[in-house]
Amino acid sequence: MLSEPKKVRVKFSKTGSLKFISHLDLNRTVKSAFIRSKLPIWYTQGFNPHPKTVFSLPLSVGTASLCEFMDFKMTKEMSGDAICERLNAAFPAGLHALAAYAPQTKFSEIGWADYEIRIEAVPMDAAEERVREALSGPIPVEKTTKAGTRTVDIAPYGKLLAVKSASGEIVLSVRLSCEEKTFVNPKYILEFLTQKLGFPSERDDYTVCRTEVYFLDGETPFL
Amino acid sequence: MKIPERILRSVEKPARYTGGEWGQILKDKNAVEVRFAFCFPDTYEIGMSNLGVRILYDVLNARDDTWCERVYAPWVDMEECMRREGIPLWSHESGDPVSCFDIVGFSLQYELCYTNVLNMLELAGIPLLAADRDDTAPLVVGGGPCTYNAEPIADYFDLFMIGEGEEVIEELVSLYKEHKKKGFHKEKFLHEAANLEGIYVPSLYAVSYQDDGTIAAVHPKYDDIPVKIKKRILTDLDRAPYPKTLVMPFIQTVQDKITLEVYRGCIRGCRFCQAGMVWRPVREKSPEVLDRAAKVLADATGYDEMTLSSLSISDYSCIRELTDELLTWTDERKISLSLPSLRADSFTKELMERISTVRTGSLTFAPEAGTQRLRDVINKNVREEDILRACRTAFEGGKSQVKLYFMQGLPTETNEDLDGIAALAEHVIDEYYRTPDRPRKTPGVTISAACFIPKPFTPFQWEPQCRMETLLEKQSYLERKITNRKIKYNYHDARVSRIEAVFARGDRKLSAALAEAHRRGMRFDSWDEHFHYDRWLEVFDAVGIDPAFYANREFGEEEILPWDNIDIGVTKAFLLRERHRAYAAQPTKNCRESCSGCGADKLGGERACCPSLKK
Ligand code: SF4
Repeated sequence: MLSEPKKVRVKFSKTGSLKFISHLDLNRTVKSAFIRSKLPIWYTQGFNPHPKTVFSLPLSVGTASLCEFMDFKMTKEMSGDAICERLNAAFPAGLHALAAYAPQTKFSEIGWADYEIRIEAVPMDAAEERVREALSGPIPVEKTTKAGTRTVDIAPYGKLLAVKSASGEIVLSVRLSCEEKTFVNPKYILEFLTQKLGFPSERDDYTVCRTEVYFLDGETPFL
Repeated sequence: MKIPERILRSVEKPARYTGGEWGQILKDKNAVEVRFAFCFPDTYEIGMSNLGVRILYDVLNARDDTWCERVYAPWVDMEECMRREGIPLWSHESGDPVSCFDIVGFSLQYELCYTNVLNMLELAGIPLLAADRDDTAPLVVGGGPCTYNAEPIADYFDLFMIGEGEEVIEELVSLYKEHKKKGFHKEKFLHEAANLEGIYVPSLYAVSYQDDGTIAAVHPKYDDIPVKIKKRILTDLDRAPYPKTLVMPFIQTVQDKITLEVYRGCIRGCRFCQAGMVWRPVREKSPEVLDRAAKVLADATGYDEMTLSSLSISDYSCIRELTDELLTWTDERKISLSLPSLRADSFTKELMERISTVRTGSLTFAPEAGTQRLRDVINKNVREEDILRACRTAFEGGKSQVKLYFMQGLPTETNEDLDGIAALAEHVIDEYYRTPDRPRKTPGVTISAACFIPKPFTPFQWEPQCRMETLLEKQSYLERKITNRKIKYNYHDARVSRIEAVFARGDRKLSAALAEAHRRGMRFDSWDEHFHYDRWLEVFDAVGIDPAFYANREFGEEEILPWDNIDIGVTKAFLLRERHRAYAAQPTKNCRESCSGCGADKLGGERACCPSLKK
């Protein structure tokens, strides 16, 4: 037993069915998985003890991720591999622990994230160029906050990394800001493209996946 | 089949539809012989909470030859997408269309889900009427409380399982497998299935009617099938299968916790209560068995909440031993224990202290009626002193809010009985102020009043439901009587209760009404926002059915009742005797005090309350 509970960070992916559960429900799912895993999780004291799990970034319902982080505390020291192994045995398919370690950084140091957006069934000539062109200028979007709806140009807070069109599918890679004040939801890019280019249309299916998270510099992958 | 993600993103609570939960059972569909789609005709959140479904999912999937998958009614937003895009109803585990399953089973928990059953069949692309389904269509079967009188929905089902399903469902699957191997011939299969105890094949029983609409006779189609279908029970609950794990929902469900079923049946015999009759005889599980099952489930699921479930938990003869046993480990593992449905006369300080170690909401008691006379009529053997004493105990324990359940429109009820409801609530408030060590809070009493619905297999099965105007008058009368602002009065929608009453005591003629309601797009009738009384009246009118014939008519004691061909163990003679005692305001002793010869003991049972079954 450690005298002081020790902080653990787990990097995990959230894909498949798990994409469609909210933050609150992820919390519940992790809570019961903790119990099943029999890991020596530290619980808050008091009337309603619970593991104090903190998640890195908000993720929209419907968006997959290969790079989520959560912090919690344990009362015993264990190797990262052992922690991942136990968690993965208790996680539902779609939730997968990738690494576990003692955190050296804070979630507030996260600045950027990469997303892969796949749009199925868009037969369109020169789709790549048109996407590139559309995203090269200002990207005005309607943002709704508590203060009301206003139009913001999100161009300074995002960039197109790559666009590829093949076999009835367009794949975009974008890097978007994750800082609280300038957070760009990838849905804005989709909405903008729908307006400009007409896709995804009502019948096109699409998927969004967060693929990497960076420090404020936008270059060093977050740990 | 895959549901397009843009659809999942566009509907409310998409995790209702994705499947993939921890604990779901995946199998290779080519390696099993029978595929069973277990359909719950309501939302995911309600279906996932149902204990019967949890048990049978486990029972069926324990077999190597069978794969049981879950199906729920899509909420209206998803239904709209499905219809728009031609997506057929699918199962959660494999995502395969329900129409490709061998057996499609519905859990029938309440009458108001019938329109959902029809809607789900349609969404699955399965012909609604049993007669329209040939040898290649899935077999559509039903189980659950409604099957004690499933006549209104009988035309849509190939067969029903009557009573406790754990054993008979396995027998059914085995028989199906045999027939599938030699080339499935539906009529032959049904004929043979009708000879399994507890299986009711409605198409093999023709019903003829008198001119006045009552039943003239029921004619079995074959000589070798039973005239009366005997309900199934498990005699030894200690040996009953119980799930070792559960499917863990991603979203909050209605009963999002471990449910530990402590015993089946009820020793009480309230005269309006169907569950108390159809689950007879009372059979208990041993505390050791329950404790073991609880540990297994706590380990396997990771739930931190557990509830003991039974009709009246404080009547369990080993409640003390069981809670002692559980509390030795649940506290330390931060698992909170809850006990539902406490009876006022067995509510003690000790029990209260035990449950106060855990999270509990406000306290609930069910006096059901406002005067001792009426409580004697309905055989709710609880006295006002019991209720006040229980409340005092609760107040001393720091509670200030009490919820009281009543029923309005009970047979013989007068305004005096309604006055009694208001008075009882007042007395509870008075008791609060008379309790010296009460908490320093404003007390509150919530009266929650349901409308009496005559149910099959109860001593009140012959009684008419009050006419709608009378029910509404009773509600506004009581509303006027309650002037104390510390007392809140809630009541059920009488219109809903009336439709329930129609179907509860309905016969096969009502299948036309269900077809018409379905044709008009009705579903989710148990949801306020989708219940339309006027539309129901239009439906009845369109098919020439008088709802009062079922809801508001006193059924004759000599009459053949739609459910008379089902044998629940409890005899009609006993129910009649109880009915007459009710009119004489004579209570009947509970099964532990003395046996009143209801007849259920002939079904047998280990750890049962019946003297004839004591070793
Ligand atoms: S046989 Fe007697 S003891 Fe058994 S359930 Fe019936 S009334 Fe109760």
